[in-house]
Amino acid sequence: MNYDFETLMDEAYDLPDGLAKLEVLEAAARYADAEGNIEQGYEARSEIVQTAIFHGYPLKALIAFSWQLGQYDRNPESFASFNLMWSYKWIVGQISHFPEIPLHKIEELVEDLGKRYKEHGYDDRTYLYYRFRTAMDLGHMEKAQDYMEQFQKADRDHMSDCEACEQNQIVQLYSLLGEHEKALEAAKPILSGDMSCAEVPHITLAYLLLPMLHQQSEQEARKAHVRGYRLIKGKRDFIETIGRHIAFLSSTDLKKGIDLFEHHLAMAYDHEDPFHKMVFHLYSAQLLQKLAASGSKYRPRLPVSFIGTEEDTSLERLADHFAQLALSSAQQYDTRNGNSYYMEWAEEALRP
Amino acid sequence: MSEQQEYRFQVNLSGMINILSNHLYSSPKVFLRELLQNATDAITARSSMDPVYKGKVSVEIAGIGEHVTMTVEDTGIGLTEEDIHQFLAMIGHSSKVGKDFLANETSFIGRFGIGLLSCFMVSDEIVVLTQSAKGGPSMEWRGKPDGTYTIRKLDTQLAIGTKVYLRCKADSVDYFEPAAVEELLFYYGALLPYPVTLVAGGQQKSINASQPVWFAEPELARGKRREVLEFGSRLLAEPFEDFIPLRTANGRTGGIAYILPHSVNLNARRSHKVYLKQMLVSDKAENILPEWAFFVKCLIWTDELQPTASREHFYEDDRLQSVRDELGEAIRDELVRMGSLEPERLQRIIALHALPMKALAAEDAAFLNTIYKWLTFESTYGERTLGELMNEKQKIYYTATVDEYRQITHVAAAQSLLVLNGGYIYNNQLLDGIAYLNPELELERLMPEDVSLSFTDLTMEEKNSYYDMTRLADVTLQRFRCHIQLKRFKPSELPALYTLSKESSALRSLEKAKESSTDLLSSVLGNLGASFGESAYSTLYFNLNNPLISRLFAASSKEMLPAAVEMLYTNALMMGHYPMSRQELAVLNQGIVRFIDWGLSANAGNGGTSI
Repeated sequence: MNYDFETLMDEAYDLPDGLAKLEVLEAAARYADAEGNIEQGYEARSEIVQTAIFHGYPLKALIAFSWQLGQYDRNPESFASFNLMWSYKWIVGQISHFPEIPLHKIEELVEDLGKRYKEHGYDDRTYLYYRFRTAMDLGHMEKAQDYMEQFQKADRDHMSDCEACEQNQIVQLYSLLGEHEKALEAAKPILSGDMSCAEVPHITLAYLLLPMLHQQSEQEARKAHVRGYRLIKGKRDFIETIGRHIAFLSSTDLKKGIDLFEHHLAMAYDHEDPFHKMVFHLYSAQLLQKLAASGSKYRPRLPVSFIGTEEDTSLERLADHFAQLALSSAQQYDTRNGNSYYMEWAEEALRP
Repeated sequence: MSEQQEYRFQVNLSGMINILSNHLYSSPKVFLRELLQNATDAITARSSMDPVYKGKVSVEIAGIGEHVTMTVEDTGIGLTEEDIHQFLAMIGHSSKVGKDFLANETSFIGRFGIGLLSCFMVSDEIVVLTQSAKGGPSMEWRGKPDGTYTIRKLDTQLAIGTKVYLRCKADSVDYFEPAAVEELLFYYGALLPYPVTLVAGGQQKSINASQPVWFAEPELARGKRREVLEFGSRLLAEPFEDFIPLRTANGRTGGIAYILPHSVNLNARRSHKVYLKQMLVSDKAENILPEWAFFVKCLIWTDELQPTASREHFYEDDRLQSVRDELGEAIRDELVRMGSLEPERLQRIIALHALPMKALAAEDAAFLNTIYKWLTFESTYGERTLGELMNEKQKIYYTATVDEYRQITHVAAAQSLLVLNGGYIYNNQLLDGIAYLNPELELERLMPEDVSLSFTDLTMEEKNSYYDMTRLADVTLQRFRCHIQLKRFKPSELPALYTLSKESSALRSLEKAKESSTDLLSSVLGNLGASFGESAYSTLYFNLNNPLISRLFAASSKEMLPAAVEMLYTNALMMGHYPMSRQELAVLNQGIVRFIDWGLSANAGNGGTSI
């Protein structure tokens, strides 16, 4: 394959977003690096960041972005800053998903983002909004509520996330806090279709399943499940969201739940985001537990990569396996975050 | 004046028309579509009142040069005076507005008022003569592009229906050419369920005499192959050789998907023709089929989708989503059916459209299982289909990346392993999927270290004698997270084989980014890099069968060994197109200098003779 940079990039642009495209882009970046061409290396990495972040490869995105930011700081006048600053949000939005990164560095990153936005003349809204999101991801819920109020008071500008995304995060917070009524209220403009984007209502619907189940009816919740699942099935980026659908099915339709589990396990298996994997693992464990408790002797179909490592594939054994995975991630997060949020969440979900 | 007066905004109509022609519609020729739509709506409305009524539309072109006029006449429901005020006098007000419309859903396509305005793109005057089926006097409406119009009651009683007269604008002669009009009428109205005729130059022509029954009932298309292909070729202007009938479960959307006779780019625009109520509404609908289905061009009818304002696309809503899913399934099911009943046909399609087939198979296990035997792979046995390779009755290995394949292909060939290149687009995902779905197949992902399984281990004795040197080499490359292994393998010309796992590959790019990033992000990457374990080590296999390696590892070259190992390592990186880190580059540079130095002193030592 004696492709040069342009050929590789052309090939990548012709591909739909996903792993295949990323591999071609990475080859292009390697080519540019080997040639010592920084401009081309930067171009390829811009594409990598964009493709990777939305297809379940946050680590690839982070690596490419770090390289870009370094180049930018050395030669700010050589590169257009808007896209770079925009992708910084994606990076900061997912950085807390890696438990190896200490709390103080996450803080420093959000601060760095805020500082850079200020230097570029943007309003505080986006910074405060990412403070809010990060606090929520870290299980610092009171702080999150605080920042939520603050960011909503600040002005929108070109750096702000779209209204649908912001509103979706508010719904998420209420849903996570178990404030079902508030979650449903906040979701109104999203459910009516007034606010939508590439990820909304896809993600939102999953966070509304339990509120609907409790506040409205199983029928309403089921409709939201069907609608939401159809939007995300087959998309690697939504593995966490699929986990939440499994949680809903584990209290309404075990059979359908197992279908989802089998269908998406391979996708979760080589996913790069440990946080998304934890959610998928936890709710899969919950589902398998319930199925086992119902007396079923079903043997789920598992991907080859998985069968290789696990001899015993009974429901009990699998439930235990995924519970252990989820619990150990939860423990890692709690240790890093300095609280007990995720352990409590996981233990609650696994309580028979 | 204490009384409140009501005023109206003045709308500059010529400005509006400019907006319509330049922004809403893609070309002035759509005026014919709009007129046909109005006629269709009028006929639909009259049919609903009188079930035995059969509508028709006739178009007449008269005069020559700049004095050409066109008349479009329908026998539909007609307009009362009140209707005229409502539909023609207010822009944007059409039969679609109001509660009635919602109840009727999409039974009317057009928006009479706006549709008629589009005629100003080709005519400076529009005259409408109409007689309503509801009774009342016949009416005349005359409109000018400056927004003024007159309405008058006629003394004579016309037949029920509506006639629209257009007078050709100086720059619109082309749109009044009989041949062009015939073409456009066919284009928009080929499927209309009532006769459309064109009268020009004393001749009368039927536009849509032959109505293909198989279009409304796509399942019947299978029995009418030739007719279906000819019809599609005329309407879509491509010489098709194959097609797939489409139909959704509720029967409200259907059509024919023609397989493109040539390969297309994955991001090519997917333009399908869509008929709403048997009237063409769009010839560039992209969002009606799933993205992977870009190897077909479709004729589709529907009565359940909502066209956008330009009526050239459809609103992206839940219903469109489910129509799209279902049409996609119809295509996929047909391909699956071909796989079991007409494999040659499927094979032809795969040969033409390998990439979209792979894209679909990567997402859809059942489809993958139908087609995998016909997928072609590069292998150590040549470029062959997987089916042919399976006939070799050998265990089949595949690599994850092109780089892996390139690294190990000659080594694997020398051990007569059957290895597929899984590195090209989708191949790896597909092969993983095939192995998962068919556990009975002997298909396995080849890890670089697997090739080494067929390498010959050193004997105990050899191990002992090479122990120190092996250790020294290993220590040398430790800082690059690279292990070394001393083995014997074919081909003996090959001194070393460098293998890199997925993890070590990720670690390499992480380290590279760390070198050039900001302090903060570098330290974040450092945190992440620290969690990579043993698996992130790469391996450099040295071939003791190779004379150079065998001399190098002889105990006498202890001094030279570290430098030589480093050079072989950096050489392996360069051969594999891996960008080198600063540290690696430094090692390479020092190595070159040192070897030149050694070469010079060796020459000086033996009297300066050169090789």
